[in-house]
Amino acid sequence: MESSWFLPLLVSCRLLLAFTPIPFTSGLQYDHQLSSPLTSYSRLKEGLWLYRHDVDPYVGGVFRHSPLLLSLFSTVLPPLPVVWAMSDITGAWALLRIWRARQRVRKGSSSRDSLVAAVYLLNPYLLLPSLALSTSTFENTVVLLTFMLASEGKQSPALLALALSTHLSISTFIIVLPVLMLLLTSPVSQLASPRPFVGTSVRSAGKYASEFVAYWLVLFGAASVMAGGRWGWVRETWVQGLYLDSPGLDPNAGLWWYFFTEMFDHFRPFFLMVFSVHLMIYILPICIKFQHDPLYASFLLVGILGTFKAYLTLADPGLFLSMFVLFPEVYPYLRHPIVTTLLHVHASPLLPLFHALWVTEGRGNANFYYAASLVMGVAGGAGVVDACFAGMRIAIGDIAEGERSKWEVMQE
Amino acid sequence: MERIIALLRRPRQNANVARLRRRKNAAELVFRNLSKITTALVAVGYLWMILIPIPPLSQPVYIDENALQPAQVNTNWNWQHVRQADTYLNHLEGLRDRNATSEQRAQFIRDEFTKLGLSAATQNYTFTTSSGQRVSGVNAYAIMASPRASGSEAIVISASWLSEVGEELYNLRGISIVLALASFLKSYSLWAKDIVFVIGDNYFDGIHAWLNAYHGTIPPNLDTDLLEHTSGVIWNALTIDYSGHSFSHLGVFFEGLNGRLSNQDLINSVRLISHYTGGVPLVLYDHLDAHDAPQSSLLAKAPEFMRRSPQFREFEFRVRNVKRHVSYQARGRPSGAHGLFHRFRIDAITLYAVPAVGPHGFFALGRIIESTLRTSNNLLERLHASFFFYILTSSGTFMKIGMFLPSAVLVGVGMMFWGLGTWVEAGWWKGTERVSTDLDDKAKDPDVRRARPRWRPRRRPVLPALVVVLATHAAGLLAFNLITTPWFPQNQITSSSILFVVLSLLPAVLITLAPSHPPEAAPISMLLQSFNLCLASTVISITSLLNFSLAAMLAITLGIPLLRSRISSPQQTPFQPLQSPSRTPARLVAYAAYSMLAWGWLLFLPSEVEKAVWNWEVLGVWFAPFVCIVYAPLVLQAGLVRLCPS
Repeated sequence: MESSWFLPLLVSCRLLLAFTPIPFTSGLQYDHQLSSPLTSYSRLKEGLWLYRHDVDPYVGGVFRHSPLLLSLFSTVLPPLPVVWAMSDITGAWALLRIWRARQRVRKGSSSRDSLVAAVYLLNPYLLLPSLALSTSTFENTVVLLTFMLASEGKQSPALLALALSTHLSISTFIIVLPVLMLLLTSPVSQLASPRPFVGTSVRSAGKYASEFVAYWLVLFGAASVMAGGRWGWVRETWVQGLYLDSPGLDPNAGLWWYFFTEMFDHFRPFFLMVFSVHLMIYILPICIKFQHDPLYASFLLVGILGTFKAYLTLADPGLFLSMFVLFPEVYPYLRHPIVTTLLHVHASPLLPLFHALWVTEGRGNANFYYAASLVMGVAGGAGVVDACFAGMRIAIGDIAEGERSKWEVMQE
Repeated sequence: MERIIALLRRPRQNANVARLRRRKNAAELVFRNLSKITTALVAVGYLWMILIPIPPLSQPVYIDENALQPAQVNTNWNWQHVRQADTYLNHLEGLRDRNATSEQRAQFIRDEFTKLGLSAATQNYTFTTSSGQRVSGVNAYAIMASPRASGSEAIVISASWLSEVGEELYNLRGISIVLALASFLKSYSLWAKDIVFVIGDNYFDGIHAWLNAYHGTIPPNLDTDLLEHTSGVIWNALTIDYSGHSFSHLGVFFEGLNGRLSNQDLINSVRLISHYTGGVPLVLYDHLDAHDAPQSSLLAKAPEFMRRSPQFREFEFRVRNVKRHVSYQARGRPSGAHGLFHRFRIDAITLYAVPAVGPHGFFALGRIIESTLRTSNNLLERLHASFFFYILTSSGTFMKIGMFLPSAVLVGVGMMFWGLGTWVEAGWWKGTERVSTDLDDKAKDPDVRRARPRWRPRRRPVLPALVVVLATHAAGLLAFNLITTPWFPQNQITSSSILFVVLSLLPAVLITLAPSHPPEAAPISMLLQSFNLCLASTVISITSLLNFSLAAMLAITLGIPLLRSRISSPQQTPFQPLQSPSRTPARLVAYAAYSMLAWGWLLFLPSEVEKAVWNWEVLGVWFAPFVCIVYAPLVLQAGLVRLCPS
């Protein structure tokens, strides 16, 4: 792993993968686990086609991507597989930079560099959506870039990336607070020595927040101009993205869709509100509990998003699992890593198999697939809970050998 | 009274401590009795599997879908139509005797369909396998447009040219009755679905080519014309296999591709119709009832009272049914041409006329098919999803999924427990040296302290074990690709021997080259066994729903070998490094046995290999890749665990 050729080899393999036609990958684009209506490649192409033919792509409910992606792919870049490969490589690079910033490695390389990059590039939860050309790849990359820039203390670029990431996927607003906190403190691990939040000052916090809002508004304006000066895109990308309005009931690996297929229409607004607000509940408690280490708080919130997000694809839990590599200090404190792993090992074949059972072979129904997505939900939840408590347990530290018998550790 | 008050006044803060202690004790109890728990789970699982054929676990069949209304119509098929079928049979026999080519046969059938006024056509097809083998033929088919609906839905009646089950080679009577039915069904206006008549060439490949062309899913190794006439979505299909002269029972075949079963409602309806409309008893496969044909192969050497006991006879009869079912389902092979329909969500069964001297013929069969078509015609929606998971123990009794699924899952859970136990065990190390005494200062008696077992945590290097797991599966993938290359079947004996030797020796050599582990880290064999068991358990649990027979076979072949791959149990011999390396020859023999279990089929079952590869390439049966990529590597990992000096 320490050898210097490993990383270039990995990167070139990923690039090669973008150019080689692999059998079976054409079916991936239509796979419900890998891309949702918000990230699907076929919908992106449809939107681009409509846009080029002077039809508002946001009319008709097909195109749900952000206008920023629309403008990117209609002007700067064609939507070729190599763009996804580059995005993956950028994501791995960002993860590596976060790792270095956290370990305070200024120059040279650390011994785990290759491992960090490999964990991102070889994670099947990230690689497969990327091969399926799901735009969740870009969302993940931008989230990682945000963390990277914030960790390195580059305020304005970090805030711009943050605004961009909330534009691409509205659910990422839950990482806004921890990223602002990260800008005010440092990314270095403070898990073992918790202390009250020591931000520079309230004024700079306000400054960052208003800068973020300004970037966000600029992007909002730009997006609206790109979308032809109409506001239809807000409804299609954001309101739909949060399931706030007449949710698309396409099956996915998440926990929402089945719930809403089963629900009577008149309860729907209430539960939509409950589900959406539910995501926000986590922000403050996690940010307060891990105020000494905002990067860890963001990591946990990414995990929450990877479990409870509307229109979940495998790329969302994948980002959380890959970010685990940044925090080796908590590994000894994880209670049940093998159980979490086994849950994922069960869930990841169950999802496509039960999907086939229901949709292709017709000998199962939606309940089968939902059962599989529940296993996935449990796996995601187990990972987040374990990471959360491990992050707190590390502060207690390892109990000395002789003391061990006298102590009983308790969770309340 | 005072004691009760004292009990109530117990300080509250102890509640949490008590809870913790309780939890700790429970965990300790489980861990201490792990081998007993695992043994119990696995034993109960195996026992359950043996008990699957006993009557109390089955229940009588019933019709779930009310719209089917089986055997509720008056049938109009009469002797005049039987005569017509006989005429067709004469022509077909003429064709057979003249050794007519596929082309001529298909043209004859198409012409007959056209004479009836149906839109008919033929379809040429050629399958090419990787070994260069070419299978070609010509299908004939006709579509009868539904008089009452738009033709968006269809029912298929098909017959293949060959019959694989019967003693007769050709399915001439099956084809004759399809032709006669075409002329008969046309004269009624009550069809709400198109009826498609398909005469497939050969046995499997004709129907397979037709279905692929119909659904537009033509694989690269199939060269075929597109169909001239098409209809709507096919809902049900009946395949007729009637090769003998007359029949006494009607046999039903229902296993499809990759272990998919047809909806049980269809089978149950045919059973009722066959009984009430045709007066023909329905049996499973060609297994006559215990009362009708005493074939006691299982009980041949049993004592007299067992042979005479009706309970044992019944059990033996059901064992034969279940065995036949498992032999089809576990290998993912369709039990008849109907199984190919399953790929396209079509519920289909084969009706097999069990050859006998009498008493039934075209008359009974025609009425049964007519009534079955009327029943299928009634369907307004798909048959219910809950009726796809069952084991038919006899034609009138079946097992619900809850009655058989736990058997395989219990074995899987037992393996998972043992794997997790090994994982926990790998994390601890019983130090032999005395630890530094400063911690023991307060100990009153140092000798007592020394005598107590001192468990200390140790590292578990996951990566090497994970690499071994991945490498074995990659080797399996490579082996599979080699087996499907053209040169492999051409010189099968030499190539399979070479492949066997390489696949068995290479991992063994590589594992001995692996660096020895430092004493403060867990040995690779422990971690490998843990991963191996957890993976195998996952595979068994997941397959159990998709293909129970396969899962049960996996539980039988993997269960004991994987559990016993490292001989030590968590609580008895924690970790003693100087325990086993002395018995190297024994380990080598054991490894050879494991590699035989993993790859022995390469040497001993060449015909099965050939058949499985053909099934994969032409029909898309997953059995061959599954064995190469999942099953064999799992066994090989267990062999490597045994080989490693633990």
